[in-house]
Amino acid sequence: MSGVVLEGVRAHYGDTEVLRGIDLSVPAGELLVVLGPSGSGKSTLLRVVAGLEPLTAGRVRIGGRDVTGMRAGRRNVSMVFQSYALFPHLTVERNIAFGLEVRDVPKREAQQRSRAAAALVGCEPLLQRRPAQLSGGERQRVALARALVREPDVLLLDEPLSNLDAELRVQTRAELRSLHARVGGTMLHVTHDQVEALVLGDRVAVLRDGLIEQVGTPDEIWGSPATRFVARFVGTPAMNLLPADGPLRLPGVPAGRLEAGVRPEALVLGGEGLPARVELVEVVGGDAHVHLRADGLPLVARVPAAGRPSVGDIVHAAVHPDDVHLFDVDTGRRVRRA
Amino acid sequence: MAALAPSRAPGARAADRRGRRWPRPSWRTLGAALVIALFVPPLVLLVSGSLRQPGLPPPLTPELVPDPLVTGNYAEAVDLGGLLRATANSLLVAALAVPLSVAVASLAGFALTQLPARVTRAVIAASLVALMVPVTALLVPRFAVFRVLGLTDGFVPLVAPALIATSPLYALVYYVAFRALPRDLYDACRLEDVSPLRTWWTVAMPLVRPVTAAIAALSFVLTWSNFLDPLVYLYDRELFTLPLALRSLSTLDPTNYPLFLAGAVVATVPALVVFGIAQRRFLHEYRGPGWLGR
Repeated sequence: MSGVVLEGVRAHYGDTEVLRGIDLSVPAGELLVVLGPSGSGKSTLLRVVAGLEPLTAGRVRIGGRDVTGMRAGRRNVSMVFQSYALFPHLTVERNIAFGLEVRDVPKREAQQRSRAAAALVGCEPLLQRRPAQLSGGERQRVALARALVREPDVLLLDEPLSNLDAELRVQTRAELRSLHARVGGTMLHVTHDQVEALVLGDRVAVLRDGLIEQVGTPDEIWGSPATRFVARFVGTPAMNLLPADGPLRLPGVPAGRLEAGVRPEALVLGGEGLPARVELVEVVGGDAHVHLRADGLPLVARVPAAGRPSVGDIVHAAVHPDDVHLFDVDTGRRVRRA
Repeated sequence: MAALAPSRAPGARAADRRGRRWPRPSWRTLGAALVIALFVPPLVLLVSGSLRQPGLPPPLTPELVPDPLVTGNYAEAVDLGGLLRATANSLLVAALAVPLSVAVASLAGFALTQLPARVTRAVIAASLVALMVPVTALLVPRFAVFRVLGLTDGFVPLVAPALIATSPLYALVYYVAFRALPRDLYDACRLEDVSPLRTWWTVAMPLVRPVTAAIAALSFVLTWSNFLDPLVYLYDRELFTLPLALRSLSTLDPTNYPLFLAGAVVATVPALVVFGIAQRRFLHEYRGPGWLGR
């Protein structure tokens, strides 16, 4: 497999500019997750790499080759679509072998390779069934096998887990990670699910309104969000943002119009700190999301459900200075502490 | 302990003494019954009339089973009207025109789904305008063209409309059917470097089989019952198609309507057979849950 490089990529849908200058480099063998909200342009980015959408500016290189003007079928990329796009009139075996058949690969070889791909994703027993006879998870495996059978330079995955139920999504996520470890190819995986992005990706690219906000490892995205958007988008509940010179009275804050970001799990509720009134408590399994109001500002803390306060209680919220992220109010970008 | 009587769930269908369940009549069933009530009586009268003895005055009231019952009208109609040859001619024209019409209409419909939206809109508008033009308005110019080309008194003018899909409506029906297929299927073909022609044949056509059956049946009925074109283009009796042969039969003895009706039954049966075969495809194709990934 080969690396992917995007240089100044722009793309339009009618009058709307969906990608507004994307520069991105994905080294060979990396699993990069493109994360963003709906309408951020992440699926378009994938389609641009596949050659399914034309560019209005910029270049796309795969394995060092400039494929910008090359049609989709010549780029040697495979894609798993959100809908899986399995051909309903063909059996699973013929779906997997489709790309080989149309390339006139000898029938015997096509059969061997499609069975090997089916074995790789664990859908061998399904070979004689048709897509309508498969569950969502089984269809997803077949779509993966079809994408892998050609041994593509790059594998593109367009929200392949979004149609699965929660339990199956967790299981398939782990299987995808393991598959990447075994196959070792370059993969671009698009999702709007932050947990999926952080669990799966070697690196994560966060996209917003057709621009990349940050590219980094899951640890960097979580621990050092480059912008206020990334800080708020990654994490549930979202990061608390409040004036840096406000009630938390943080040490070492540089001058300027700044906002302080505190993750809900970094807020400590105890006997010391800023007094706050509990307005709402949401219990989510072993955790509780405690909605507070302190000095008129809304805050959310994530605490163990067992020791949660009750609505109406007055608690004291404190935060360790190392757990505070600072952002410029005007640019939204991260500011380093002095 | 007292046994509880099984309660009947709301919406359960009534069962007779043998436990057979009868479907509850629905609006669809009532609609079908209405269509049958409209179209079956003329067919019954057609068959019943074809079995009457020639020379008798028409009955004052509809007569389901004529007395006496005469089957010889069929042999006489086939013999006098040259219906065997005419049937063979009609079958030849249909065998050429129907597949050609289906192929051209489906290719045109598929091409419309692949073109830029602006071009597709323009072509659809032009097709709708073409649909408004009466066939008779084109009769004289078409005749002039075929006469100049020396193609009259042959089957070419009867098959030629199939080269433009017979009717723009067929191409539009295919366009709607192909457009209803998920775009991802076409994109998957593009990623596998499948040519548009191969995508049409290996992916799109198998997924719209009921539409193909319907278009084939419509095209067959239109070609089979075409009276005007054979009347204009065919002069040699040996080349007459069934509608023209039936017309000749009716002119032999205008009062011998059992003979004419027998000829009409012979002409109707192939159309019914074709419809019977086609309807199995377009009414009974089971697609099951998850078809097209939805």
